[in-house]
Amino acid sequence: MLERKFKVQSSKFKVGAAHRHNFSLLIGKLRHLNKWAAGFFLLLSFGIFSTPALAHRVLVFAYAEGDTIQVEGKFVPNTPVRQGKVMVLDKKTDKVLLTGKTNDQGKFSFKIPAAATAQKLDLKIVVEAAMGHQGQWLLKAASYLPGMKKASLAPAPALSPAVAPTPVAPGAKTATVDAKMLEEVVNQALARQLGPLNEKLAEMAVHRTTLPDILGGLGYILGFFGLWAYFQSKRKKDT
Amino acid sequence: MHISEGVLSPAVLAGGAGLAVVGTAIGLKKMDYEAIPRVAILSAAFFVASLIHVPVGPVGLHLVLNGLMGLLLGWVAVPAILIALFLQALLFQFGGLTVLGVNTVIMAAPAVFCFYAFRGLLRRPGTPATVGAFACGATAILLSGLLVALALITTGQAFLQVAKLVVLAHIPIMIIEGIITLFIFLFLKKVRPEMLEGIYA
Repeated sequence: MLERKFKVQSSKFKVGAAHRHNFSLLIGKLRHLNKWAAGFFLLLSFGIFSTPALAHRVLVFAYAEGDTIQVEGKFVPNTPVRQGKVMVLDKKTDKVLLTGKTNDQGKFSFKIPAAATAQKLDLKIVVEAAMGHQGQWLLKAASYLPGMKKASLAPAPALSPAVAPTPVAPGAKTATVDAKMLEEVVNQALARQLGPLNEKLAEMAVHRTTLPDILGGLGYILGFFGLWAYFQSKRKKDT
Repeated sequence: MHISEGVLSPAVLAGGAGLAVVGTAIGLKKMDYEAIPRVAILSAAFFVASLIHVPVGPVGLHLVLNGLMGLLLGWVAVPAILIALFLQALLFQFGGLTVLGVNTVIMAAPAVFCFYAFRGLLRRPGTPATVGAFACGATAILLSGLLVALALITTGQAFLQVAKLVVLAHIPIMIIEGIITLFIFLFLKKVRPEMLEGIYA
């Protein structure tokens, strides 16, 4: 029994030694690979760790503030598009409603054109930066119409019944005027307070590159070439 | 370097797509079985390189690495770049699917050109090879910039004006890419010379 135990121990020892031997071999191999792999991973990690600092895409976002629309254009991550050409188009017909230029903060604002409110157009806002870069933002009619002041709506010719001032009975006149004024004041205050929030929301709606995007892309690339290699190897075997 | 969607006319888009298809076909034909892992690695490197932001110049710029792709892959750089650009368009919204062909030509054509232009220099030992590697990285960016300007002619923008703007904006990138290409070339020559067999073939 004692002998057996000893044997077991010695074999265990042997295993351990072999293990250690393998391990040192592995380390040696790793060290050989090291320089090469380090270079590659350095390159990769550059990409991964610099993700917040993305460049080269023009982000455009726009939101309504009362009866003006604020447009902001920037290169990802945060460089403003200075003096970029802004075009406001009708989404359906691609008719240019107005054009302008962004200022040095990459911002541009315009009064909502009467034609847009009248026909409830969805606006396509395109910001064109130099060198073939451009971005666009779709501003739905539903998102700018409610914030508009009644006053600015009134002169528009084709008003829908929903926004038209309701006929007022003579007796209730003062009350409705008060209500109207109140609504306007509330609307203004809301527009002021919701402005930054709208800006934030618009900015958040923009898709920014995330780590999963990058890793997913790398996976796809390796997968594509893996597939290609697979079919090539098949063909090689067949011939 | 990526031209956005909706900028170019359909004729240019179609022309670019046609050229990209031809280039990809040639590249795939030249890609032998042993080269596949190498192509995959470089395609992945190209894919992430565009995320490396270089905070210089008037607009945000990023690395392109097409000179390096050309140096190491030759014609095979075309399919490698095409796949990387396809995924960039899909996942990062860089460029776009309709402009994929044009963008591939813009970045891959200089890669192939530089491969043949600097191969002789790169084969020689010592300083000429070093100079060749730097020039390969820098020239590829310069040519890409000129191709961007060329593609934009059709949109009514004056070639010289755009070309000047693009090239001036990319001078820092040219230098950086030249240095990166140079170091990777020297590194591979020392550690993995078999990666460079394309130059000697």
